[in-house]
Amino acid sequence: MNYVALKMLFGDRAKYLMLLCGLSFAVMLIVQQGSIFWGLMMWSQASITNVNVPIWVTDPGIAQVDEVKPIADTAVDRVRSIDGVEWAVPLYKGLLRARLPNGEYHQVTLTGLESATLIGRPAEVLEGRFEDIRQPDAVVLDQWAVERMGGPTVVTVGTIFELNDKLARIVAIAKTQKSFTNIPVVYTTYERAIHYVPRERRTLSYVLAKAKDEIPVEDVIRRIQSQTGLGAFTAEGFGMKTIVWVLKNTGIGINFGTTILLGFIVGMAIAGQTFYLFTVENLRQFGALKAMGTSTLTLARMIILQAFTVGLTGYGVGVGLATLFGFLAAHGGNLPFAETWQLLLLVLVALLAICIVSASVSIIKLVRLEPGIVFR
Amino acid sequence: MIVMKRLSVWLAIAGVGFAGWVLTGANQKDPMPPPILEPPRSPYEQTVAASGIIEAVNENVRIAPPVAGLITKVFVKVGDQVAEQAPLFQLDDRELHAQLLTREAAIPPLQAQIEEQKYKVGDLETQFKRLRSVYDERAVSEDDLQRTWYALEMAKRGAQRIQATLKQAMAQRDEVTILLDRLTVRAPRRGTILQVNIRAGEYAQLGSAEPLMLLGETEQLQIRADIDEVNAPLVVPQAGGTASVRSLADQKIPLTFVRIEPYVIPKKSLTGDNTERVDTRVLQVIYRFKRPSFPIYAGQQVDVFLERRTSTASGQEVPPSSPTEEEPS
Repeated sequence: MNYVALKMLFGDRAKYLMLLCGLSFAVMLIVQQGSIFWGLMMWSQASITNVNVPIWVTDPGIAQVDEVKPIADTAVDRVRSIDGVEWAVPLYKGLLRARLPNGEYHQVTLTGLESATLIGRPAEVLEGRFEDIRQPDAVVLDQWAVERMGGPTVVTVGTIFELNDKLARIVAIAKTQKSFTNIPVVYTTYERAIHYVPRERRTLSYVLAKAKDEIPVEDVIRRIQSQTGLGAFTAEGFGMKTIVWVLKNTGIGINFGTTILLGFIVGMAIAGQTFYLFTVENLRQFGALKAMGTSTLTLARMIILQAFTVGLTGYGVGVGLATLFGFLAAHGGNLPFAETWQLLLLVLVALLAICIVSASVSIIKLVRLEPGIVFR
Repeated sequence: MIVMKRLSVWLAIAGVGFAGWVLTGANQKDPMPPPILEPPRSPYEQTVAASGIIEAVNENVRIAPPVAGLITKVFVKVGDQVAEQAPLFQLDDRELHAQLLTREAAIPPLQAQIEEQKYKVGDLETQFKRLRSVYDERAVSEDDLQRTWYALEMAKRGAQRIQATLKQAMAQRDEVTILLDRLTVRAPRRGTILQVNIRAGEYAQLGSAEPLMLLGETEQLQIRADIDEVNAPLVVPQAGGTASVRSLADQKIPLTFVRIEPYVIPKKSLTGDNTERVDTRVLQVIYRFKRPSFPIYAGQQVDVFLERRTSTASGQEVPPSSPTEEEPS
């Protein structure tokens, strides 16, 4: 009987293709929109992923990574004094104005790394050597800063520009994840960052730390919080905090949420409707089968098999198309696109649910079907 | 199987496979790039971390001039080892030299006067002796004898007065000599010249913010560790510690406790900017250390980790400092 069911499904090529296309595009729409949404969220916490350390310590009232609330310099030593902390280093982060030789102004994020260890630096460097940051007046730009400031003809290794009226010389270009605000990132050492920025009473933005290998990060974070009174977060926790902040305080959440929801509803509606129509058109065949004495249960099994087959095929094709889109369009990091297995699983579950719902509607129709319909 | 004959099914399988491949590739989190140099790590189970600065055991001497004045000569350069009382620099002394000339010139006339007075006294003494030896009252009157005696005594007192004036003149000369000597600024103790901020021809001000010269003992160094006041109760006196120079974090220098500075001071920001930027107060602890194999300089910053004994770890509270105070050292 399964064979008959599949033969029915595949037999009418045009109908099958229409069904498949509807499902595939619905899946593709959801996966693509969802991935772009999640990609944007990843961009919003790019400052955290780019620094890539396990523990962040700062003022407990911090809302998100880019809203810096400076703390006292001695916080580094206080964090180092906590049991289970393997190391802790300072990080400066703040906004500053850069003036290029051609007279253009750009707002930049100044990131000051601890000068001896350079913990928090990007893993990959496109041009130059990151270690040259220790030279006098040296700074490192990220690739997006080059793009924002006018391309490699305007800024490149060796270009000299002004940071808050003080000299800065580019010694390397680092590869980083693009950030949501796309403010150019300028890396320098912590001491020089302090020298560049206008005077403030407190200068330390973050303490970056790592827990000892045998001690769980959560324990260390709890200890830092209770013993220093500072706010301590895991990189993941801080990232989520930032994402939640972005969702709450910007329009992205609402905008993308509605788009995804609409995509989801439209996609699923198309899928359900197409499949339902497919069953309705095949009612005559089902009627014939029923007239031949096939039990309703067998017919229901046939319909469910058809629904799952076409559903899974559409899912596969749709996911493949969405991935291909992301692979081609977002390969250079210019488009936010982050596909996750959670999203794919969610779509799969939703799609199967829709298939079951539309199949059950068809089955109800089949149960009520008079075999005599064949002869009308 | 009929399913396997359909292109669409193969497309679907390929799509899922492609997505899986991309996902495993893209969502892999890059490991953190290794630190360029090892970050400082605590060697102890429980620790109090501090940032320290290396300094001379005897606090550095900020050499100041006794009076404001023009500098005519600088005798030492940076890095010179100087003995106690070695001349460091010379202030303009021409005015005092001129004074010395007049003062010295005042002495010979007085000496001449003394000689002169000697003869006067001698003359009167012989006169007096002669008059006294005459017994005839008619030849020498009582009045003459009295007069001569008074004249003799006057001359003697005159000699004393001139002697005193001479002493005064000499004292005045000595005063100028001492004042002159004062214009040569000397090392108050043995040490190394760490800084020279003056050149010949410059004017030395009194009480300037920057010392004219910095004298210190660099053979024996110590570490002054700043501990946040919040962590101050955790510091156990006599506890050991290690320090590491920035950029050589794996080379640990063992520290020996010297003392805790009893006064908690506002922390100075070591950013090279000397304007005040006080954000917290720090407890300072002094530690001694043996010179390591690599060069180390006064003024260098170090990361310090102090050992912390806790009641939970050792089982009994260690009464701070009392047992060690009893033993004679």
